[in-house]
Amino acid sequence: MIGGYDIEVSARERVPRWINYGTPVFTVVAALVVGGFALVALGVNPVAAYGTMFVNTLTTPFGVTEVLLRSVPLVLTGLAVYLPLRAGLWNIGAEGQLYLGAIAGTWFALNVGGPSLVVVPVMLVGAGVAGGLWALVPGLLRARRGVNEIIVSLMLTFVGVEFAGYLVRGPMKGGQGNFPVSETLPTAAQLPQLGGLFPALERVHVGVFVAILAAVAIRYLLRSTKTGYEVTVTGSNADAAEGSGIDVDRVYVLVFVLAGVLAGMAGAIEIAGIQGRLRPNFSPGYGFTAIPIALLGRRGALRVFLAGLFFAVLVVGGSSMELAFSIPAAIVEVIQALVILFLITAEFFKRYRISIERDEREPPAPESGAAGGD
Amino acid sequence: MDPQSVPGERVETDKTKTAPPFHSCKLPPVESDAYLELSGVRKTFPGVVANDDVDLTVRRGEIHGLLGENGAGKSTLMNVLYGLYDRDAGTITLDGEPYDPESPADAIASGVGMVHQHFMLIPRLTVAENVVLGDRERASGVRADDGPLGALADVPFLGGVLDALTLDMGPPVGRIRELTAEYGLDVPPEAPVWDLTVGERQRVEILKALFRDVELLVLDEPTAVLAPDDAERLFETLETLADSGITILFITHKLEEVTRLTDRVTVLRDGQRIDTVETDSVTEDDLARLMVGRDVLFDVDRPPAEIGDPVLEATGLETEDERGFEVLSGVDLSVRAGQVVGIAGVSGNGQVDLAESLVGVRRPSAGAVSVGGRDLTGQGPRAFLEAGVSYVPEDRLEDATAPDLSVMHNLMLKSYRGDSGFGRLDYDAAAERAERLVDEFDVRGVRDVRKTPAGDLSGGNLQKLVLARELSRDPDVLVAHQPTRGVDVGAVEFLREAILDQRAEGTGVVLLSENLDEVFALSDRILVLSDGEIVAETTPEEADRGTVGLWMGGAVDDPAVAASDEPAPTAEGRTDD
Repeated sequence: MIGGYDIEVSARERVPRWINYGTPVFTVVAALVVGGFALVALGVNPVAAYGTMFVNTLTTPFGVTEVLLRSVPLVLTGLAVYLPLRAGLWNIGAEGQLYLGAIAGTWFALNVGGPSLVVVPVMLVGAGVAGGLWALVPGLLRARRGVNEIIVSLMLTFVGVEFAGYLVRGPMKGGQGNFPVSETLPTAAQLPQLGGLFPALERVHVGVFVAILAAVAIRYLLRSTKTGYEVTVTGSNADAAEGSGIDVDRVYVLVFVLAGVLAGMAGAIEIAGIQGRLRPNFSPGYGFTAIPIALLGRRGALRVFLAGLFFAVLVVGGSSMELAFSIPAAIVEVIQALVILFLITAEFFKRYRISIERDEREPPAPESGAAGGD
Repeated sequence: MDPQSVPGERVETDKTKTAPPFHSCKLPPVESDAYLELSGVRKTFPGVVANDDVDLTVRRGEIHGLLGENGAGKSTLMNVLYGLYDRDAGTITLDGEPYDPESPADAIASGVGMVHQHFMLIPRLTVAENVVLGDRERASGVRADDGPLGALADVPFLGGVLDALTLDMGPPVGRIRELTAEYGLDVPPEAPVWDLTVGERQRVEILKALFRDVELLVLDEPTAVLAPDDAERLFETLETLADSGITILFITHKLEEVTRLTDRVTVLRDGQRIDTVETDSVTEDDLARLMVGRDVLFDVDRPPAEIGDPVLEATGLETEDERGFEVLSGVDLSVRAGQVVGIAGVSGNGQVDLAESLVGVRRPSAGAVSVGGRDLTGQGPRAFLEAGVSYVPEDRLEDATAPDLSVMHNLMLKSYRGDSGFGRLDYDAAAERAERLVDEFDVRGVRDVRKTPAGDLSGGNLQKLVLARELSRDPDVLVAHQPTRGVDVGAVEFLREAILDQRAEGTGVVLLSENLDEVFALSDRILVLSDGEIVAETTPEEADRGTVGLWMGGAVDDPAVAASDEPAPTAEGRTDD
């Protein structure tokens, strides 16, 4: 009881529809509002800053191009976190899987000759296989030995990132000078661009279609196939799944390998479509940003796609805001972090109802037994 | 059929008492030395009345038993007493004062301590550290009576900082030694808890309470985790405590513990107090009736069985728990088509292991299981499923359903594999089938089979859903564990009839239940499971519930005698083939 008011927290029996559907929107709005305080503290008008961030980004061909390009690795790694999440597992290692894909993609691009129509698919498949094998390790250890997949996947990320750093300084080092980079990828490995279709967005490459395709495929897998059903049941109650004859171990391995394939392809696409050559630390943490993306979009693969686009807008808009107002781009990271915090808060409001009432003499009768019967 | 008609009448008269008595005219003068008094305590959860108008009077210095089946409301009542739950109605007085604990800390401060069934100890810390946890002494030199430095402790914030940063284990260790000597608790204060046996850990729990000067000690099924020797030792400790004036409330569902230890006992059933009696004035037989008996058998029509070939056979089943203790020690079982075999027993005697071993969820450490003549020993749930075994587990929310998925998703769990090619699932057909099953089994509270999460259904409806799923497969074998526990009366009848219908279709049924009414109403044969063994076998026609209740409580001196003498060779008998 605080100041004559009685605050009661009670469990909801079911989540109202508006909360369920509104959560992503509330979350984003709340993060922007609180992020606005940081902007005010920096002496910037938040309305003007957000105006620059969103309007400039979404109304210029340059902005849209950048958003689409950025969204590709974000969506793919977002899906790589999302799919294991549906089976109840956390893939915190999408970043490492992305690096392994980048390494393998670079190697195939440099070592497979032929026309683009051969090199690009080989590069993508090779990257997918490498990412998948990297993710197989946490998947298998979890399935066979019950080892915590969070720790294994996260630790393997550092191994993967440092491995790439080693390769470009050693076996895969190329180019002139002493820079830690690989050889530049041949033109045959460059991703076809959309210039022919949308001249305004000429730099956008086919990676965008890979991301869309991946989201649609994951959605199909989860919603229309027996395997997807097994994944969903396992994620909801692994014991019941096991008892119904579902091979839960197989599900665990499968979701991790598929996640690795997606993240691995993201790595190759980033190298072939943007960077042009393998560099150490080329990723600005796509695989980690993927975690809030997967959380924001956790109710469906297409939502993950939208969440990926939104985070791409944040990143691209953040840098134009940085230029226009000369403020640190770290403000974007603040907003991303706030999105996660508000998502967690929203979880609480989904489960509990809070009522505040003036404290009468009689203590109010409990509305419905809270959280009981456990 | 009922030779012990006198206790039988007792139950009749007791039943009439379950109507809430008027609180004002309740207390005979004898109980004026009451230490703890609960009156009209009621606690509900959504859809469940866990405690309904419970009165309980515990006298100072006595050992008071609280007896009841699982789900009778014992633990809820104790959690109310310990400040973990708010009660909905009723009053509690402790030592004459109104008692309204809002948290366990309140309860302890008022002198009420609790030893939980699952220990609340930190294995890495020592006994003494566990005992003082949350109740530490400040280091010497900065105590309030320690002169200039001690004065700092009176500064409100600083005092808290000092509390948090300093710890002196000297005085507590001395005190613990005193307590262990006084009550014969015998645990070394410096030993790390991970190094202790289960019995010793329990003594640490008791020490924790004594260290905080409790006057009422509540023990929640304390012997569930103990070996017999440790249990006996615990009883001696409790007697010592009671002699020194500490009041003890002992929760159990084991009859022999009540008669061995308690002065008086209160029996709870279905959340209501049935009776409070002097332990000396009753027999275990009476207590069994009070605990499990209802006045009327559910009137389900059980036509004579048309027994077929054996469909499920288990021989020499043994299992171990994760600590390596034997749970099942050699269970033989044979079920024929069209036959219901009831396994009566108080839960915790190996039921879960037995049920899970019969459906492939658990792999027994020894023994064999075959279904329809095919040996499936060592196979997983899928093999059993495909051999035609259906399973209704005891804990339907944990083991049988995916609560946040829809009713449809849950109903297709055993049949989704189907035959359509390429791994595509036909959700339209599944939804149609789900709607049909929801209708047929009268599952209520389903708005849209595709959308309503199974977890939104009430206990009874969720159980109907599970049974619908399992029976719609037209199984050869059904293993049902406590199929009607926690289910409202209407649903109970429905579920029982569904099981009997399935029997008429030629399914062999294994029914594991603590509820003797249920076992008697449905079974063709009754086996009694106690301490991991089948200790007796009978039929509903041969035995009466009081006897079976005694066997369930472990009161079979010589299992061989009970198993072969009493029921004699029965109509369908054991199939020792």
